[in-house]
Amino acid sequence: MSDDDRILMCPENVREGMGLGPIFCVITAEQVEAFARATDADNPLYTAESPAAVQIAPPTMRLLDYALLIAKHFRGGSGGVHAKHRNEFFAPMRVGQTIRTDGRITKTWHKRGKFYFELEYESRDVENDELLMRQAITAVLLIEGRMQ
Amino acid sequence: MRAVPFESGREFESRPYFLDAAAAHAYGAAVEHPARRAVQPNIHDDDAAARRAGFRAPIAAGEHTYALAANFMVDLFGIDFLRGGHLEASMIKPVFFGDRLVVHARVTAADDSEVAMETWVENDRKERVLVGSARLARNPR
Repeated sequence: MSDDDRILMCPENVREGMGLGPIFCVITAEQVEAFARATDADNPLYTAESPAAVQIAPPTMRLLDYALLIAKHFRGGSGGVHAKHRNEFFAPMRVGQTIRTDGRITKTWHKRGKFYFELEYESRDVENDELLMRQAITAVLLIEGRMQ
Repeated sequence: MRAVPFESGREFESRPYFLDAAAAHAYGAAVEHPARRAVQPNIHDDDAAARRAGFRAPIAAGEHTYALAANFMVDLFGIDFLRGGHLEASMIKPVFFGDRLVVHARVTAADDSEVAMETWVENDRKERVLVGSARLARNPR
């Protein structure tokens, strides 16, 4: 018996209103510095000597949490193409914080033969429930590797 | 908000960012925390997968380009952008490895309550690969 109870990632299974998550992560200095290096970001906010007195995560460092939300609920599929993204920032993510992220499929539609979905997700500080960020991805789901 | 003047019409431009396979690999390693259970060959790292999806070669992740625009907003507005900023953008053209990207921003409206900008990212062929908008309240939370 398989221990993988996730459902197949396909248009029939991606439904509006579907809740995804939660997932949890800890904001680490290692990730902040790796992300800043990878994006050539030299803003001192992202360093241990941050003028904010605490090391801050670059704004989209946890953007890929959408993929973790999807991977927690779905298996298979052949990925997607990122069409749009939206972020609302409420408070900076700080090194040492534990973050909880929850998501929801808010919209699905077909356009010119392609299947689109919008996934909204928001991240909060686990300790005090402070809202840190709300974001949304619009993606084209690849079906058998194609945009159809 | 920092003391950068944001009068309507003013334009800003980032320094160039060279997005090659090594940069994409570094970006991928930085964002995969924790790593997903299994990542299959995909349009970002596999020629055949990219061609099946309709691209001539593997393309950079859209969020990699989006990250450059978001970082640029924090450079312009400082930490205040993380306390009330809003950014949204469409990835309108693929970014191929070897592209040199520059983020642009132009103030479209500025008053006592808010600064609004259009933003876009151009490759070295002067093609816009990302277009969007950003805004920040003058008195963020």
